[in-house]
Amino acid sequence: MSASLAPECNEVKEKYDTCFLKWYSEKYIRGNSSTDECEPLFKQYKACLTKALREKGVDTMLNEAREGTVETDAEHLRR
Amino acid sequence: MKIYESSFSYDYTFPAVTLAYFLRYPNPYSRHVLSTDVIDRYVDPETQRLHTVRLHLKKSKVPAGILKFLPRGLTGPGGSSQSYILEKSTIDLKEGWMETESKNMEWTGILSVIERQSYRRQPLSEIPSPDLSTDETQGIKETTSCKTVVTFVSQLGQGKILGRKKHEHSKTPEEETHKQGFFAAWSAAGIQRTVELIGVKRTKSALVNGKEGMNVVLERLRNGGVVGVLEGMRRDRLEAMGGEGH
Repeated sequence: MSASLAPECNEVKEKYDTCFLKWYSEKYIRGNSSTDECEPLFKQYKACLTKALREKGVDTMLNEAREGTVETDAEHLRR
Repeated sequence: MKIYESSFSYDYTFPAVTLAYFLRYPNPYSRHVLSTDVIDRYVDPETQRLHTVRLHLKKSKVPAGILKFLPRGLTGPGGSSQSYILEKSTIDLKEGWMETESKNMEWTGILSVIERQSYRRQPLSEIPSPDLSTDETQGIKETTSCKTVVTFVSQLGQGKILGRKKHEHSKTPEEETHKQGFFAAWSAAGIQRTVELIGVKRTKSALVNGKEGMNVVLERLRNGGVVGVLEGMRRDRLEAMGGEGH
């Protein structure tokens, strides 16, 4: 699995990644996307990562970059 | 501004390609990728599309051709540097497409690179088979096409060199004047063309590596499923560290 930019988040990231891959390959790909059983793990991972991004000063830059790429499905279709 | 386009296809099914896209780092062609994090991910309840935002940290070396335009101290020795890449993807499994967008987050004034890829399911079963009885035994049932469009924009020489960094500390008028003096020696348009062309050259080889990396992951996926890919990653990591993996 790929590493997190914050080593302290690696453990929870690996748990989340494993959960996601299982959900994606066994459920989403087969058309069953209703339940998101990885949500609790993603919350834990995100909490760890958000703290690390703030400490590294990446959060502001990230928000600015994301503002430019947020688009709705409708906009996507028009492309 | 420069635009570079290329098209190719993967001899794998669309779902496999999307899975490989999420699993593509690390692979033997991605030694420069230091980390990958998921920033946001959700399924749109109406469309069932999967939206993902990821942040990659990549090791890079600023080419000598660009380095000469930069103030000293902006990069490490020999132009060594790290850069954050924001990647956004949307997958519609029912309609059989994936759209991705990757862009650099820093130094966008020097060179902003936005790479957009469109993956499309290409069913081969639409081609009528001369013998219907062999339908089941045909190896490949679909391939996945991938169209890449990369846009390069440099604003070098327009006093915007520090890009987003300008928020962090406002420059004094003296610094501003000094900078203009430095760039006055060059034509802004000439600098931008040079930098954009260096970007195009780099992207061409990066796209080849990206495709090779995806194919390694796709082959591992076909041979051993997700477990096969993860085992491959472990072997790659051991080799990268110089240890004897086996």
